[in-house]
Amino acid sequence: MMQMAELKTSTDTVDIRNEAPARTVIRMTDVSKAFSGVQALANISVEFFAGEVHAILGENGAGKSTLMNIITGVLQPDTGRLEFEGRDVMPLDPEKSSALGISISYQHPAILEDMSVQENLQVALPADVFETRGLRETARRLLDEVGLHVPLNMRTEELTVAQKHLLELAKALALNPKVLILDEPTASLDQDATDMLFARVRDLKARGTSVIYITHRLAELRKIADRVTVLRDGRKRGSTLASEVSNQDLLDMIVGRKLESAFPQKCEDPSPLVNFEVNGLTGRKFADVEFEVGRGQIIGIAGVEGNGQVDLMRALAGLQSWKGTIKLDGKALSARQIKHKAAYMPSDRHSEGVAKDLTVRENATVASLEKYATGGVLSRRHEDEKVQEVFRSLAVKASSTEAKILSLSGGNQQKVVMSRALLSEPGFIIADEPTQGVDVGARFEIYRILREVSNAGTPVIVNSSDAAELKGLCDVVVVMSRGRIVKTLRGDEITEPNIVGAAVAADTETHHSEEARSSASGIGFKFRRFVQTDNATVVPLTIVAVLLALYIFWQNENYLSSFNVSNILILATALGFIALGQTIALLMGGIDLSVGPLAGFLVVIGSFFVNDGQAATTMALGFVLMFCAALLVGLINGCLIRFGNFTPIAATLTMFIGLQGMSFVLRDGPGGYIAFSVIDTLTYRIGSVPIAFILLVFFALVGEWVLRRTRPGWQLRAVGSNEESARRIGVRIDRTFIAGYIAVSLLTFIGAIMLMAQIGVGDPAQGVNYTLGSITAVVLGGTSLRGGRGTFIGTVLGALLLTEVLNAVSFLGLSQTFQYGFQGFLILVAALIYSTARRRPEE
Amino acid sequence: MTQARNVDTGKAMRMGGGMALSKGFVTIVVSTIALIVLCFIFAPSAVTAGSLMGSLPFAAVLAIVGLGQMLVVQQGGFDLSVPGGVSLAVVIATHTANGNDTLLLNAVLFAFGCALLAGVLNGLMVAIFKLNAIVATIGMNTLLFGAVFAVSGGVPRITTDLLAEIAGARTFGIPNSVFFGLAILTLVSFVMKRTVAGRRFEAIGANPQMARTVGLRVEVYEGMAYVMAQLLYCTAGILIAGITREPTAFQGNSLLLPSVAVVALAGVSLLGGRGFPISVVVAAFFLNQLSQFALSIGIPYSAQTIVQALALVFGIGVYSIDWAGRFKNTNQRSTEEENHGNQTA
Repeated sequence: MMQMAELKTSTDTVDIRNEAPARTVIRMTDVSKAFSGVQALANISVEFFAGEVHAILGENGAGKSTLMNIITGVLQPDTGRLEFEGRDVMPLDPEKSSALGISISYQHPAILEDMSVQENLQVALPADVFETRGLRETARRLLDEVGLHVPLNMRTEELTVAQKHLLELAKALALNPKVLILDEPTASLDQDATDMLFARVRDLKARGTSVIYITHRLAELRKIADRVTVLRDGRKRGSTLASEVSNQDLLDMIVGRKLESAFPQKCEDPSPLVNFEVNGLTGRKFADVEFEVGRGQIIGIAGVEGNGQVDLMRALAGLQSWKGTIKLDGKALSARQIKHKAAYMPSDRHSEGVAKDLTVRENATVASLEKYATGGVLSRRHEDEKVQEVFRSLAVKASSTEAKILSLSGGNQQKVVMSRALLSEPGFIIADEPTQGVDVGARFEIYRILREVSNAGTPVIVNSSDAAELKGLCDVVVVMSRGRIVKTLRGDEITEPNIVGAAVAADTETHHSEEARSSASGIGFKFRRFVQTDNATVVPLTIVAVLLALYIFWQNENYLSSFNVSNILILATALGFIALGQTIALLMGGIDLSVGPLAGFLVVIGSFFVNDGQAATTMALGFVLMFCAALLVGLINGCLIRFGNFTPIAATLTMFIGLQGMSFVLRDGPGGYIAFSVIDTLTYRIGSVPIAFILLVFFALVGEWVLRRTRPGWQLRAVGSNEESARRIGVRIDRTFIAGYIAVSLLTFIGAIMLMAQIGVGDPAQGVNYTLGSITAVVLGGTSLRGGRGTFIGTVLGALLLTEVLNAVSFLGLSQTFQYGFQGFLILVAALIYSTARRRPEE
Repeated sequence: MTQARNVDTGKAMRMGGGMALSKGFVTIVVSTIALIVLCFIFAPSAVTAGSLMGSLPFAAVLAIVGLGQMLVVQQGGFDLSVPGGVSLAVVIATHTANGNDTLLLNAVLFAFGCALLAGVLNGLMVAIFKLNAIVATIGMNTLLFGAVFAVSGGVPRITTDLLAEIAGARTFGIPNSVFFGLAILTLVSFVMKRTVAGRRFEAIGANPQMARTVGLRVEVYEGMAYVMAQLLYCTAGILIAGITREPTAFQGNSLLLPSVAVVALAGVSLLGGRGFPISVVVAAFFLNQLSQFALSIGIPYSAQTIVQALALVFGIGVYSIDWAGRFKNTNQRSTEEENHGNQTA
């Protein structure tokens, strides 16, 4: 099998090499990689030379990304060798790869949206990049080089897609790499930015960098590439100097294959009755789309990936908003009707097509359940009959209708998705990449079914990145580029070269430049910028806290007495430290429910050692044991979450209950009075301000500094912001999470020491409430519940405000009802306000 | 050719009638039987008729609460308002009725009204306003305890005779609460497996994105999970009020972890998806019996929660760790990244 493949490859390969090339930087020899049986790369041998731009061409799924991921060490090849400057560097990992001087700009930028532009640079690049010229100046220079003119402290979620790509490029270029991989870098860039990029690439080339340029666009290849390699179906189709190959030859290499098998008969009627019509359709990423479908015709949508086809399909399926008109059988449909009439076959079968927990039958009937029911109660017999019927006509091969959907082959899963569409008796069918991940045999059956549906009068619209498929299946093909239709092909015009040609040769002049968002200046601008920062909640919290204090003072003048103020501050200190810990958990996108019982448990431990009359060493031993217990709890939480597949809430809830039990095992009631000397020391105050509170503020400030100015802080926010991007920029995910949960527990340990002074006795029932208290304080403080952004200062203020409110309840002579009521009200209102204020623009 | 294959397919396809047993069901039933055997060997006192009659009502209560938690977990949520919901029902049933049988109906209706309100608010916050389920339900739990204090002032009160009779008495020698539990199990199973709404509910839990592409109203079903859950907690609370002579105002506190534990033990993924009502009820019996067993062999009452916590770790450990594929993870992740990488952006 392998032998044959080898033979075939070498006969097909066009290998023209006449000019003695420069020094080889990367040499890949016979590299193969398979994913669960599917050959992504087969025996690829390719060399990348210093001082050259080497373009990689190929359709979707040709193996380009796999090749790239092997070079960056993200994937390990199954067989074959990878040499860097003549040395065998296998096995390669992302860290080693970047140490060798390989850098990459991803097609989907690995940008952390919760962090600022500058922080994105800092977390992704090694510290020494910034050493010589200083932080801001270096960052400014890096951005200037790619023409990205935005404030350094701007949050990256506010950047446009094009600006994010520029930032991604800036990161890749910052290291003066020996090898630079650019994956579809111009997909969202306008003309100026593209020219800038090309200038930078030529510049790097002149300095000896080997540039690997992955693209779909022939026009770009002509401008920039010295050498080109074409991949198809995981195999190398040829490698040649760009100057010695014509566009036509390249297209032939990209498309290549001749399909022997027969497609179903196309529509014979040259001008059939129009039954589906789209006019001036405009939506996210596409504009002014217009086409019509005649009875018995199948319409194909073509184009290079990411040119608006997917969004168009989703809009036609009623999943995205649109403007314009969509007519079915001559009647214009409203957005609501569209949702009802459309049957959508998504391209991403795993995330949108099937529910893996459900059976084959359940997957097939989910859109048509009401058809088998009387009065809302299903007739299982009726459902089974219908499923059998449609499965027979679509030739679905499954061991049983009750089999798990994932036990079926890709083709049969797709047929189940089609069955669902047909069972719902739709007005029209929107099929996005209907044969992706489907074996050849099933492909033709899917074509046959689509044709039958179309013949029966149901309009069918197919999006495909496979030109051969569109040629064989469709009566009309609409080619899109940058969200607009650039060509409509009919009848004999529908050939693979015409489709691919129209898509890739689409003139770059149709670029529409994305408008940069408001970059005004002045007070309004500064204000908006401040509101966007993590610490913006400090202002409203302070105002609320002061107003509340004044109100209660007006009601009862003892409220602001020195005694009560210091009392509030002492109470807020224990809560504050625990809440600082909770902030870390939320920053990581998790939560730690175990902090309350942990604090209580630690106090119980302490109550056996820290008593009057005990030697100082015994007391010290008590504190050490408390510290160790906290450390252990944090470690267990972290490990359960990262290695045990526990959700943070399940892990910490288990820990919550377990610790509570441990406290009761150690003491069945209050006992073990804490030494007065210790309590006095812990509650020592200057005027009415306890030292401990000052310490809390100090911790919060240090925490802020760590969070915003140091690598561990950025990494913490990076994993909370977007785990996948953090992984790609080289953050050690597991280590960061576990260290984070340990930090939560250690801050709880400090909180527990304060709690010990506060309650003065080892009571197993105490502490539990601090879980709720800490979450309330953190939410009030304004830390995001989705992770990635938060504030320690806000948390301290939140703890203070919460304590103030609870204290006020007793001062105003209100019952416990109010104590609970206020706390619940505070947390919910704060969560609602903040989450509404921060809803991301795309959602 | 095509014809021939079609016929084959038709024949090959079994008409499954729900015969396939879920992994969760098998696991929990086997564990329960093993536990009963252990009880007979090491702690015969835990399986006497008298001890079972005493503990079964609590298993029934846990089963009902567990079913509520299951609905929320199926939608990928988490309900921390169990203690508040249960406790509020308890105090309303005891305080509002105040020992007077004629007021019992009012009290029960009032309790359900409160549960409905709490459930709707939870549902709105989570499904419509997209609040983090943990924060929303933790906040709601606090508000519910505020209501508990408003109703009871935090002090217990003796339950009415009528409620004690309805919930606490026995019929055919079996505690009534067990019948309540079974009736609710039947109802939940029927709705979930045999009605359009139930099947849609499961499909949405299994894959909300898919459900959206076929036009289901995901938010409504997600929100309804919280409403139904509160109604079940309320039912459980009223039963507790009947079973216990003088229930405290914090009766629900001890039910939070067990409610999660039974859901996990039943094999319901904590990330959402398919629900297994029967397994949840068996798991409730299992957990209850485990406590009895632990008590009988001399583990102190104070350590009970540790036993529960270990059971939960065991439950999640069995189902959520992909033992076989543990070491292939990295590879798969990269594959997915390539194929489906950022299509959801």
